[in-house]
Amino acid sequence: MALPRWTALAPVLLFALTGMLVLLVDTFFPDTRRRSVLSGLSTLGSLAAVAVSGWFILSGPGTAFPPAPDSGATEGGPILLFQGQLTVDAMALLFFVVVGSVAALVSIASYDYLEEHSYQGAYYSLVMLAATGMALMATANSLAVAFIALELSSLPSYALVAYLKQNRGSVEAGLKYFLVGALSSAVLVYGISLVYGTTGALGFDAVAAALSGVDDAGLNGALGVGVLMVLGGFAFKTASVPFHFWAPEAYEGSPAPISAFLSSASKAAGFALAIRVFVTAFPPEVMLETLGIDWVFAFQVLAIVTMTVGNFAAATQEEVKRMLAYSSVGHAGYVLIGLAALAPTASGANTDVVLGASMMHLVVYGFMNTGAFLFVAMVEYWGLGRTFEDYNGLATRAPVACLAMTVCLFSLAGLPIGGGFMSKFVLFFGAVNAGFWWLAAVGAINSALSLYYYARVVKAMWIEDPADDLEITRQPLGLYAAVVAAALLTVLALPAFGFVSEVAVDAAASLLPGA
Amino acid sequence: MSFEYAPAIALLPLVSFAIALTVGSRMPKKGAFAGIAATGGSLLLSLLAVRQVAGGEHHNEELLVWAGAGAGTELELTFGILIDPLSALMLIIVSLVAFLVHVFSLGYMNDEGEVGLPRYYAGLGLFTFSMLAFVYASNLLQAFMFFELVGLCSWLLIGFWFREAAPPSAAKKAFLVTRFGDFFFLVGVVGVAVTFAGATETPLAFAGAESFPVVAEEVVEGSMGAGELATFGFAPQTWFTILGLLVLGGVVGKSAQFPLHTWLPDAMEGPTPVSALIHAATMVAAGVFLVARMYGFYAVSPQALAIIAFVGGFTALFAATMGVVKDEIKQVLAYSTISQYGYMMLALGAGGYIAGVFHLMTHAFFKALLFLGAGSVIIAMHHEEDMWKMGGLKQKMPVTYWTFLAGSLALAGIFPFAGFWSKDEVLFEALVHGLGASPFLLAAYAMGLLAVPVTAFYTFRMVSLTFHGEARTEAAEDPHGVRWNVKFPLVVLGVLATVAGFLNMVPVVKLLGASHLGPIPLEALHDWLAHGIEGVNAEHYTLADESLTHEFAGYTAGYVGSELVTTLLSAGLSLGLAVVGAIAGYRLYDAPDPTEHTDRLGSMKTVLYDNYYQDEYQVWLAEGVTAPLAQLANRFDQGVVDGVVDGVSSVSLLSGSRVRRIQTGVVSNYAALITAGLIVLLIAVGVLGGWF
Repeated sequence: MALPRWTALAPVLLFALTGMLVLLVDTFFPDTRRRSVLSGLSTLGSLAAVAVSGWFILSGPGTAFPPAPDSGATEGGPILLFQGQLTVDAMALLFFVVVGSVAALVSIASYDYLEEHSYQGAYYSLVMLAATGMALMATANSLAVAFIALELSSLPSYALVAYLKQNRGSVEAGLKYFLVGALSSAVLVYGISLVYGTTGALGFDAVAAALSGVDDAGLNGALGVGVLMVLGGFAFKTASVPFHFWAPEAYEGSPAPISAFLSSASKAAGFALAIRVFVTAFPPEVMLETLGIDWVFAFQVLAIVTMTVGNFAAATQEEVKRMLAYSSVGHAGYVLIGLAALAPTASGANTDVVLGASMMHLVVYGFMNTGAFLFVAMVEYWGLGRTFEDYNGLATRAPVACLAMTVCLFSLAGLPIGGGFMSKFVLFFGAVNAGFWWLAAVGAINSALSLYYYARVVKAMWIEDPADDLEITRQPLGLYAAVVAAALLTVLALPAFGFVSEVAVDAAASLLPGA
Repeated sequence: MSFEYAPAIALLPLVSFAIALTVGSRMPKKGAFAGIAATGGSLLLSLLAVRQVAGGEHHNEELLVWAGAGAGTELELTFGILIDPLSALMLIIVSLVAFLVHVFSLGYMNDEGEVGLPRYYAGLGLFTFSMLAFVYASNLLQAFMFFELVGLCSWLLIGFWFREAAPPSAAKKAFLVTRFGDFFFLVGVVGVAVTFAGATETPLAFAGAESFPVVAEEVVEGSMGAGELATFGFAPQTWFTILGLLVLGGVVGKSAQFPLHTWLPDAMEGPTPVSALIHAATMVAAGVFLVARMYGFYAVSPQALAIIAFVGGFTALFAATMGVVKDEIKQVLAYSTISQYGYMMLALGAGGYIAGVFHLMTHAFFKALLFLGAGSVIIAMHHEEDMWKMGGLKQKMPVTYWTFLAGSLALAGIFPFAGFWSKDEVLFEALVHGLGASPFLLAAYAMGLLAVPVTAFYTFRMVSLTFHGEARTEAAEDPHGVRWNVKFPLVVLGVLATVAGFLNMVPVVKLLGASHLGPIPLEALHDWLAHGIEGVNAEHYTLADESLTHEFAGYTAGYVGSELVTTLLSAGLSLGLAVVGAIAGYRLYDAPDPTEHTDRLGSMKTVLYDNYYQDEYQVWLAEGVTAPLAQLANRFDQGVVDGVVDGVSSVSLLSGSRVRRIQTGVVSNYAALITAGLIVLLIAVGVLGGWF
């Protein structure tokens, strides 16, 4: 069956259409009691995107479409659209699945969370439009599209963080997020302009092809500054130190489902873009050996600092949501190992495993982190406090939800209860095999530390005695469903890990030069 | 016909376990009938298996690969079934005794109105399942797993009356002491797996061309290079000895051999049918059976054989002396059990594979009989176990008396009862190999021989005190009657204790110079065990001219005069000593009001009565040596290991709070830090890359 080529973008289009549909429904039926329709629409739209992406992955990206007559692409390879501005390949599809799954979980959970809030049409359409931007980030194949996609995902996010507009924290977090985002965008766009100025190209492949000319013209320094500024822009999106300052406050201030969305899907999309840009546009061999621009070193520094700052800060938090915010920074550090291990000295056979492991970790992280944040959303919904003590004895009142939360937390810590164990294991193992044992060692130490603060929550829930007035009056069905589904997916990721890793490693191998 | 029904032999009792556990409390006899039906079924199937084995068939099949299946793995862990003459014989013994004990339990437990019976029958069912599965396990790891499971059942059943003080404590002791031995066993299992994994596909199997005993034999013999074996720098034979001795740790614990015998007398706190089944006839036999099962592995190691023989001989004598002074009937039987298993070990160590298995069989019958007889007496005496409070029960309980007497004669080794034939063969094997090969074995033989009159003495002291003389208490004047369910098992076992010895009448064969008297085989067991799976039979182990014990341990028979003279001398000597001991025991205590003649032993009696202070020194070992060592390790863990860990975490928390302070909440600070961070990164990468 040969579909028109543009249908390869179906997942992205589905997100966008769902967003529009939600707005339309909200315009014609502005009755906020129809929140089940809005929530249901977004969930269904996201799930449809996941289903389509899943089908493309299973049938092999590109096999359902005829190769473009002018692209020279082969049957079954990545699909280039709009003269190479967008590319739909295995990696893009994988990240469609991540974004779609998280968006679906968040939409289900928001049904209960937004019970008493108005303007829900705006909320769900913004979530869908942000998802569109994130999905587009995964397919971007030129610096211009990359910037636009990044802004498309960021602008709705700012609004979503500030969604609770009666809440001082939410508004303040939104503003801070926006300011830091504006600064980072400026850095990114300036970086892009430097890259364009030195190479004269915006498409990733064209940039890579023009690199040798940069050396001849002696513009190494200017290109280097540009590359690092691009890196800075992506570091903002992935909440990597030192561009992470917005993250703890935005995650803490925003509605908890949005924290889940930003820390899982947005981060994954940022990494998808960063991986594609740095692997295809700035291949490490050329950059280091002919141009002297060692961005791998920059990623190594970033990885170590991000892991360490994130985990150490998480260990001293008193509030669960803020702890999760910092732990999310720490996880960005683990994922950075994938890029930090791409040095040309690394043995080539293993770089695809490490890079693939990064993607796997993002997939699994999408489930377990969303589950944890949605549990926090549930606690906020119940009107309990935010600190660890407020979680005391929660398991006596809500054992199922607490069990799901425990699964998510232990998987985040890397215990072999969910996919988090395998993805971390493959990541560290791959780093060691590629010759970066010290990255793995720092990761392992940080991972051990993380068990401490995750276990604090588990201990509070299961072991501490509940406060006398601990009372749960309402049973939020949507939140329950989302949390339990997230935990279930986390656990299922363990037996299904073979399949996920195959897809991820294939995706990584097809990106890497010489594949 | 194939052995497709073989798994059911073990699984039937597992079903009865499940029934007793789930619906036992709603059944008429609380699960007893399910157990009787299941063990009866197992017995019938075992008989069928024996018939097939007699027809020359064997069964060695892998049923399930539960770990390591697939390509690229060196080691597969499996469950399988091995039915050959040895395991078929043992299946009969276990299922028969289990069946009879279930029937007996109707009288001992149900009729006495005990509570918690579903738990009791569930325990018996689980035990029978585990024991049968152990018996026909096809590999060492499977054997180990069921070995542990029978230990668990023993713990459950000794502590059956868990509301009293003594049984739970005895159960714990039994569990811990045997576990101490099993620890070595486990190390041995892992050792065997690691050693042979490189050289064979089935490194843990008991039988087959690639089994570990066969490979070990080929390596020691030199027909196979040792290159593929992991022997950790030892010569192969030395390493095999080490592995064999590690496994022997489990054997010594389970079969209650010195110095790990101390749990067995305490285990008598359990219900008497349990003592008969588990702590006399079957579970305790598991250790000895394991040695016989992997005899090919021990046979290539003369040191291991010598140690087995010596430990056995010593235990036989040592435990017998303690039995002389005990007051409670079950205590006497417990020490006698330890002593008799010593004989079996002596036989196996001395190259008497058939003799060891023979004694294992006869002992299972007559010791189960004696325990059940004691159980009958205990019912009659309203649960009084002190023999000094009995007396004169002979007339009041004739069935119990006559069957008990048959068992006692067998135990004492009096012609023509079963124990005479087997014990005589044990001593004969030790004697001839001692004469021919090593004075070490002669010493073990001497201890075994010395134990003969002691055994006969305590046995007849027990008979006299219990049944003869005059009733010394009101309970003995008017004993409680027992029903058919007690008498039936006694009669069956009584017959077996009398005639089982005729299966293997070696002295008669030597005397007649023919192995058959007309159509009747005179050494049926001998023929039975001699054949079987290639490399796993008595022919290969001990009988053939180039047998393993001859080739590798240098066991050759030596004789006084001729073979016949030695045979008759040995038989006459042990019988004579047994008769002397028996008459002494009978005469000294067969009085209307007997006195404790062992008081004349003076302080020696105290030593014997306190079991040579074995318990005391083991407690001292635990409290005086192990506990301080554990304290030291704990201090190291708390101080050094935890100190380091705590140090790391307090450093983390401290620096964590520093990190936290960076997050000021002021956006302009963030912007400054971001810019500064980017610039630092730019400069670092730029300097590194030489941009400037």
